[in-house]
Amino acid sequence: MKGMFKELRSNRWYYLMALPGLLYFLVFCYLPLPGVLIAFKDYNFKDGIFGSPWVGLQNFAFYFQGDYAWRTTFNTLFINANYIVVGTVIAVAFAILLNEIRTSFFRRTYQSLMFLPYFFSAVVVGNFVYLMFSSKYGLMNQFRDLLRLAPVDWYSAPGYWVTILVGVYVWKNTGYAVILYLATIVGIDDELYEAAALDGANRWQSIRHITLPLLVPTITIVTLLAVGKIFYGDFQTIYSIVGDNGLLYETTDVIDTYVFRAVKNVGDVSMPAAVGLYQSICGFLFVLGCNWAVKKMNNDNALF
Amino acid sequence: MHAQKTRYSLSQALFHLIAIAFCAFTTIPFLLTVMVSISGESSVIQHGYSLFPDTFSWDAYRLIFSGDEIWRGYMVSITVTAIGTGLGLLLSAMLAHTMAGQKVKYRNGIALFIFITMIFNAGLVPWYIFVTKYLHLKDTLAALILPMLINPFHVFLIRNYFKSLPPALMESAEMEGAGPFYVFAKIMLPLSTPIIATVALFYSLAYWNDWGLALWLIDDRKLYPLQFILFKIQSMIHYMSTQGNLVSGSQTLPSETAQMAMVLVTIGPIILVYPFIQRYFVKGIMIGAVKG
Repeated sequence: MKGMFKELRSNRWYYLMALPGLLYFLVFCYLPLPGVLIAFKDYNFKDGIFGSPWVGLQNFAFYFQGDYAWRTTFNTLFINANYIVVGTVIAVAFAILLNEIRTSFFRRTYQSLMFLPYFFSAVVVGNFVYLMFSSKYGLMNQFRDLLRLAPVDWYSAPGYWVTILVGVYVWKNTGYAVILYLATIVGIDDELYEAAALDGANRWQSIRHITLPLLVPTITIVTLLAVGKIFYGDFQTIYSIVGDNGLLYETTDVIDTYVFRAVKNVGDVSMPAAVGLYQSICGFLFVLGCNWAVKKMNNDNALF
Repeated sequence: MHAQKTRYSLSQALFHLIAIAFCAFTTIPFLLTVMVSISGESSVIQHGYSLFPDTFSWDAYRLIFSGDEIWRGYMVSITVTAIGTGLGLLLSAMLAHTMAGQKVKYRNGIALFIFITMIFNAGLVPWYIFVTKYLHLKDTLAALILPMLINPFHVFLIRNYFKSLPPALMESAEMEGAGPFYVFAKIMLPLSTPIIATVALFYSLAYWNDWGLALWLIDDRKLYPLQFILFKIQSMIHYMSTQGNLVSGSQTLPSETAQMAMVLVTIGPIILVYPFIQRYFVKGIMIGAVKG
């Protein structure tokens, strides 16, 4: 204890500099924590978190006994899994492809244009989707018209939307991931390629046997980080695209959009708090699991 | 030899073709927005959204700039972005400086304290109750700034950069009696401009593009940031289009072209600076990738 005071005194300027930042985390991340009790209570605003009556697991029961628990959990995991798999394959492919392009002017231009959507807000993305899929004026139905196909009322057809969401994800995030993977590719020792060329390997063979294997560690880390977040739905994008359009909930309603609606539209907080706690705990276990997996493979890359 | 060369340039051509196709995919929605925003409303109604409209008009821009809502939205967004970025960056860098200090005994404890927030949170409801009932942030400008002031990921990014600087520089300054504040302001920051610029841009982008905080915490129209104004317009149009004929008789629908003009108003500043700032983001992502 005495040592602690001595340390705080001798490095007081350091600790003073850290103080505002630490206060931020204390206030916005730690102080709300007792609020998880709401999940086990019938919360009312007047009595607050501690005064509201206990109801045991009733809030959880409400969620898990309805159809919503299965549907929202499945959609969250399914959409995110698709993001991870499709997103990674496409990003790796484009990173390799860009690396093969000889002229640096073109390589840079392509990279810039691919990266552009990363800078648009989710609302703007929602708007772009509307430009494409609006049944009246959208580009997709104009395109179908050219092919003499009947127009589709996209915004009332839930079956298409996982594909559309994955397309949006690829559209928005490929540029970012390409930069990440290109950084690794550029770091590969040229001598490896020269040696392979001497042994008669063509470009494809050196990609297959040098680039890809050396990308595996980066791919693994990026993927595991994403898997760690798999219980968290892509709220901003999904909500700006789907909004309160109940016709599409079947395939697009994720835990986060469900919680938001329950709080904002229904005005209930106890049941959503229970759902949020369920999500936080599952999410936490996934992070621990993924970190354990990273550690098993390569200790240096583990988060903790 | 000749055949080899032909095959080689063929594959190059193919690579270019694929890359161009993907770039078209990433840029067409933006180009389409530009074109629709300057089309005549009648050509949209006749032919749908098109990259090559029949008629052009500035009416959409005239319409949206005639009210004061957009101007106010700009003011809110600019204020929030400026204050949020400045304050967030300063606090993040100061935290990082302490965490990178070799003499600071509890630096790992501080890192852990921050790291825990990255892997566990109480969920949105406890956060919402706390922020509204206890901090009383609802319908204040602070509600758009404080809740996302520091991104822990960026704190670690800056710390790693500080750690990579030669420790001899700081040691010699401290030998001559310079305190941590002096070292921070006069040595660490000037030597770290690449990472500081990158993080500043990441913060600015996050603030400029955010509408989640407004969605939860702002009901007062005067405090709507640009993105949220756009969101409101958009969800109204969505609602109307799913309600079909119920409301199509009333002329309350904002015009199609005005909506697209509104999109351009919110992303305009980003597009204007994009060519200049893009490389800082690339650098930031690469630093993050290499340092893990």
